[in-house]
Amino acid sequence: MVRRGLVPALCLLSILLAGAPPADAQTPKRGGVLRIADREAPNLDPHLAISFLTHSWANMIYSQLVRYPHGPEQKHPADFSIVPDLAERWDISPDGRVYTFHLRKGVRFHNKPPVNGREVTAEDAKYSMERFGQKSGFRARFDVIQAIEVVDRHTLRVSLKEPFAPFLNHLAAATYVAILPREVEEQFKDFNRPEAMIGSGPFMLKSYQKGVQIAFERNPNYYMKGQPYLDGVVIEITPDAAARLSLLRAGKVDMGHMWGYMVPEEAKSLKQTNPEMVMTPTMTVGSGKLYFRTDQPPFNDVRVRRAISLAIDRKGWNDALLFGEGCIDAGPVPCAMKDWQLPASQMDPAKAKYLVGYDPAEAKRLLKEAGYPNGFSTPMFHWPGYAPPWRTYYDLAADNLAKIGVTVEFKPEEYGKYISTTYLGKFEKMAMGPQAPGNDIDDWLYSCFYPEQPHNRSHVADAELNKMLVAQRRELDPKKRLAIVHDIQRHLADKAYYVYFPTPPQYITHAPQVKGFKHHDGFSLGQRLIFTWLDR
Amino acid sequence: MKQYVLRRVLLAVPTLVLVSIIVFSMMRLMPGDVVLRMVEGHAYAPTVEALRKELGMDRPAHVQYLDWVGRIVTRGDFGTSYWTKQPIFDEFIARFPVTVELAVLTILVSVLVGILIGIVSAVRQDTASDYIGRVFAILALSVPYFGLAVLVVVLPAIYFKWTPVYTYVALTVDPLQNFKIMMVPALVFGVTRAGPIMRIMRSALLEVLRQDYIRTAWSKGLPERAVVLRHALKNAMIPVITLVGLQTPLYIGGSVIMESIFRLPGVGLFFFEALTRLDYPVVQSVNLIVAAMVVGLNLLIDLTYAFLDPRIRYH
Repeated sequence: MVRRGLVPALCLLSILLAGAPPADAQTPKRGGVLRIADREAPNLDPHLAISFLTHSWANMIYSQLVRYPHGPEQKHPADFSIVPDLAERWDISPDGRVYTFHLRKGVRFHNKPPVNGREVTAEDAKYSMERFGQKSGFRARFDVIQAIEVVDRHTLRVSLKEPFAPFLNHLAAATYVAILPREVEEQFKDFNRPEAMIGSGPFMLKSYQKGVQIAFERNPNYYMKGQPYLDGVVIEITPDAAARLSLLRAGKVDMGHMWGYMVPEEAKSLKQTNPEMVMTPTMTVGSGKLYFRTDQPPFNDVRVRRAISLAIDRKGWNDALLFGEGCIDAGPVPCAMKDWQLPASQMDPAKAKYLVGYDPAEAKRLLKEAGYPNGFSTPMFHWPGYAPPWRTYYDLAADNLAKIGVTVEFKPEEYGKYISTTYLGKFEKMAMGPQAPGNDIDDWLYSCFYPEQPHNRSHVADAELNKMLVAQRRELDPKKRLAIVHDIQRHLADKAYYVYFPTPPQYITHAPQVKGFKHHDGFSLGQRLIFTWLDR
Repeated sequence: MKQYVLRRVLLAVPTLVLVSIIVFSMMRLMPGDVVLRMVEGHAYAPTVEALRKELGMDRPAHVQYLDWVGRIVTRGDFGTSYWTKQPIFDEFIARFPVTVELAVLTILVSVLVGILIGIVSAVRQDTASDYIGRVFAILALSVPYFGLAVLVVVLPAIYFKWTPVYTYVALTVDPLQNFKIMMVPALVFGVTRAGPIMRIMRSALLEVLRQDYIRTAWSKGLPERAVVLRHALKNAMIPVITLVGLQTPLYIGGSVIMESIFRLPGVGLFFFEALTRLDYPVVQSVNLIVAAMVVGLNLLIDLTYAFLDPRIRYH
């Protein structure tokens, strides 16, 4: 009887055991060192360097007052909403001019001399913001700040000259104010040396061999309890792109780029040799465009610019070059900025056709109407060194324009010249290339369209537009600001100040053991690695 | 001899002055503006002007030149990198051993391979071994080392999931691992440079082998080994040594690419990054230091001629 009962009982037990869910494969595991191959940062001081490489490294070490959401917190890669970092909350005065930040208590700097793990205070935040305002190449962006005061040990008050909607976004960007301890600068003169890399961020510097490798280890006292999951991160300094890809293929690194970037063509080729690689096609914040001297003929005539836009076969480009995976709805607001972009489908079709339409016959008619029945020829300044698909983009643009009678004369430039002239709008007639001025919607609108701004490559001067551009940066109510941003996009739809091309996706690529790595369009390497873990 | 060396050293001074002027002017003539490059397109006017002043670039070019040369001559100060803000000479010294090691290994490989094949080709003239040797030389001459380097890095990764790219370890820390790291770049670079050496070795040896004293050696009944290696080779080496000397700047120049592909933290990589970033002081100073070294090395090579051929005298 006992035996007869035991067998079914054992069977039941074995069924139950077999059916029991295994330890959740997606539950983050602690430990392991993530290996990345990428280039070397030219400098280690986050306020003295403007390189994104420096800011990515610095983001491992330093905290900020506020930050962008990452990993499970983010809605999408271009989620530039603001979440607490060192400041656990903040108040904004009704007139939008005074920000009061309440700092977390008990957050400590890394336990290294001369700081020795002391608490981060409002004094540190004040010192860092003032240092940034004096020394950074980006300091002009903080001209809006009138005063920074320490209210008490954990409270900081920042007064602005006028309401400025992008302010918190700028503070959240890894590119700007890393919070540094003053005594380090007093001892070492600046933060441009390994022993001076002391912050309160998720990782601490373990070792740095110039030109070889930088190693970070987990900050055991990071304020987010239990995180980061990784024991450490090693960046194998590899300047050559082919070598980076080979290291990834050979399994010597987990990622061939800090952000996992890979262009579709390269990713598809990698997938053939290494099918185990995890790839996530992602639309990243960026824009490719033709830009013009709209202050000079022939491009001061809107009909000519509209003709150029109508000549571009965006769908054809997308199908032929981007495997149909690109975004052909690119406009003044990049496709990836979902929170701000007004899709062309929601605009007046009569206007939107000049933004995304393809109609060579209409383009020819417009050119004739503008006094160019036989077309014209124009130089096209560009840097040929951009990653694929750019070289083909230049050819396709010339080919599409030739079909409406516009002869393109290629003017390739060396990078140093391009970045310091054409890139900043110093060119004749027409130029072409990508653009990524920043994280805030203001960077894409005010910086690209307001007179005298460095990113206003097309020399746009539009009085009606200017009012809206200023209004959106002064509007603190997100809904009202969004309405203005949509109005701006409607206004710009048929102006063709810039002519936009399909945006290619990036394939965010890493080895299968890397888990929880989500792309974010800030330069915040450390923050995205807070949520990354290894399943080895 | 002493007078000769002194004369050569004095002659080096105008050479180096000329080099400094050329490098300084070439950097300024290069398109692009380092200040605008440094702000990466975020050129807000006050920032650009302040940065220009901070770097001393608001001064006239001749003042900048004299300041640079003056500091080197009076204080041995080669300046500071615009980007890394680190003293250039310290960085150069830290990285120099890597480049020297790569150059020495490359020269060793190229000389060994080149001389060996050259001797076989000359001694076995117009036989199968000669033809194979000559085909090798032409192949080595026509395949660019940087192309071969990329193939060596990329192809094994695709087909065997292996790549000869490692994390650099200094010779003093782990000689074995260091050798493993340096071997592939030295082989790739050395084999492609062996082509011209082989050709020169072959023709020089052929010429020497036809000399009267070699006929005498043969007639004395010496074995082939002694005739070729002891009597002929030493004299045939002079043009080979000259060629290795002439190729030295190529080894330094080539290190720019090789160090970048194989992740070697040497002077070449330092120079390459500085060049792409328009880091004027680094490019100028590294060029000047390398030029001084090449001048010195060529003097050294000229002095070795006397050792190889006692008929050579210095006046």
